[in-house]
Amino acid sequence: MTHEISRRTALSLGASSLAASAFAPAPSFAQRIAPPSSAPVSITYYNYNLASAGIGSEATKELIAEFTAPQPNIKVEGVPVSSGQILARVQADLVAGRTPDVAQLVFSDLDFVVRNLGVKPMTDIVPPEEWAAHTGGMVPAGLNLGALDGKVYGLAYVFSTPVLFYNATLFKQAGLDPDMPPATWAAVKEAALKLRAATAKNGVYPGVYSEFDWLLQGLFLSNGGRALSEDRRRVTFGESGAVGAIEMLRDLVKSGAHAKLAESESGDAFMSGNLGMILTTSVYQRAFLNAAKDKFELRAAKMPSFGDKPARPTNSGSALFILSKDPVKQRAAWELVKYMTSKRGYTVITSKIGYLPLRLDIVDDPQYLGAWTRENPMVRPNLEQLTRLNQWVAFPGSNYRQIARIQIAAVNEAVFGDGDIAKIMREAQERAQALMPRA
Amino acid sequence: MRIESRAAALRSHTLLTVLSLLSVLPLYWMLVTALRAPNEIFSTTPWPQNPSLDNFAYILGGVPILRMLWNTAIVATLTTIAQLITALLAAYAFARWKNKWSQALFALLTVTWLIPAQVVMVPGYLLVTRFDMLDTLAALVVPHAASAFAIIMLYQALRAFPDELIEAAVIDGAGHLRILRSLIVPNLKPALASLAILLFITSWNDYFWPLLVTRSQDSAVIQIGLQMFMTQEGNQWGPLMAAASVASLPLLALYVVLQKQIVDSFLRSGLK
Repeated sequence: MTHEISRRTALSLGASSLAASAFAPAPSFAQRIAPPSSAPVSITYYNYNLASAGIGSEATKELIAEFTAPQPNIKVEGVPVSSGQILARVQADLVAGRTPDVAQLVFSDLDFVVRNLGVKPMTDIVPPEEWAAHTGGMVPAGLNLGALDGKVYGLAYVFSTPVLFYNATLFKQAGLDPDMPPATWAAVKEAALKLRAATAKNGVYPGVYSEFDWLLQGLFLSNGGRALSEDRRRVTFGESGAVGAIEMLRDLVKSGAHAKLAESESGDAFMSGNLGMILTTSVYQRAFLNAAKDKFELRAAKMPSFGDKPARPTNSGSALFILSKDPVKQRAAWELVKYMTSKRGYTVITSKIGYLPLRLDIVDDPQYLGAWTRENPMVRPNLEQLTRLNQWVAFPGSNYRQIARIQIAAVNEAVFGDGDIAKIMREAQERAQALMPRA
Repeated sequence: MRIESRAAALRSHTLLTVLSLLSVLPLYWMLVTALRAPNEIFSTTPWPQNPSLDNFAYILGGVPILRMLWNTAIVATLTTIAQLITALLAAYAFARWKNKWSQALFALLTVTWLIPAQVVMVPGYLLVTRFDMLDTLAALVVPHAASAFAIIMLYQALRAFPDELIEAAVIDGAGHLRILRSLIVPNLKPALASLAILLFITSWNDYFWPLLVTRSQDSAVIQIGLQMFMTQEGNQWGPLMAAASVASLPLLALYVVLQKQIVDSFLRSGLK
């Protein structure tokens, strides 16, 4: 459902990647954005929430309108582009000489964006005192999400963490205590099997099978593994930590605890009341609540851990990047980025769309999210995970999407097949490593 | 004997009735889902418990769906007309003027049909940007004004056209345009109608190119409008089905009116 990439999108990305390869990264410069001014300026803002109908689009339009109302000299053209298309569109527009001034780009594209689109670190173009003043109240782990090689290129914008949603009604029918949701994968397996035996419904679906591998990376990390080495030179999803996590998934499948569903239908299965538990993005909360109304009781728990090892949740979502090279437009772009990630911005983003606030000080503040958080206690597990958030790591090089594809194909084969898991993952790792950029 | 043939007829009619119902079922389910409340979307009851038009009200209020339908109709109609005209002229030229390059030229044209649209999308986008056509309906029509598929189809039809008739017209002093207008078009009406239907449907369903060259909802087409209900925050099945119902109405109406020609055109082109 979310972040799915279609064949057509992939083809388009490939086509535009060809075009993108025609322009080398712009030479580094330390030019700062212009000082604030009242001169008229127009900027373009590519945003994927605008490309959807409903809450995402409405909230974004509301924020843009609030931003421009008190400063009529800044005109913001919000350009709707779907998340699967946005990078391809940015590349095409770069080639066409219509570079967007601000773009909302998915975290998995971070390395490609930095190396190929000539994006400058925000910390280089924004005066240090302004940067410190704006990011002061942000969760440090959240601020790191758009960072590469120690520099923040994109300011984390809309993002979520993995949440274990569960159908408390089915829990009760199966004799499980809905107040004690499973905290480990072993407990998840046990609960899923009991639930299946008692209700004939599906047990659990861990939503880790997408090419957007943020959740899979969280699973690997939780078991001491990684998809990519810390020095970003080696693909490591064939090493023991990751293999151990996949063995757990295989065990869920073999035991019958794992629902036999496609990733794209898992959310619908949960909403229809035919699935007991689903580990997925917290942003589905509103859709799940709508579907559960008068049908079943929806609850949420933190990401399960592997035994005593603490779970290490990762993030999904996107960051805001300033792509403009014109200091005056950069200033307007920075002002927009500041507003979108301000206390007010995150109040709207969290309460209306369902993403997480990068600022925890607004959660209980009655001026901001206080009332909303009291009415929506389900967001608490999600907020708790925010402080120990791990970065969704982007594969490097221009083959990064092929690497992600190899990874997920191998995971599918290893989890749902009968072959030797370590061998499948090791061979896939070798194939992926061959696509990594040469040092 | 008669009883046996009646039994056979009954069997085949029963089978066809079942197949017809199966064909209609997705359409029925689309409409029923459009009438369901959010917490009823996944219900398997054959009709909604509390039918409501909320989803239709939502799509008409939240997204300029009617404007998108209008844009799609304009774009599909203009593209079809443009492709028919260019294809007719090109096919006539290929059929009438034979020289040593004809076959090679035609082969080249055929090869262009095999190039995936995505490959030429970025150069096409750059051209559209250079001509300052971005976010206009012209950007959706002009780059698709000629279709290799249409030329190939019409060339096949023209090859079967008797040369003697054309030669007689030439002897009578008719020029090329006159021959096309008075002789070929009236005689190729079935082929042209079939082709027009195929081109219209293809253009109506086009998604990817419009996605690239439109920047605002007001210039978007219906296929983009449908995609808007598949959001990061979960698919909005109710509104999506309502929008799909509205979007399919014009094509459904077209199908009801031109049923025979549409079936013929698919058979003629060997496409499904």
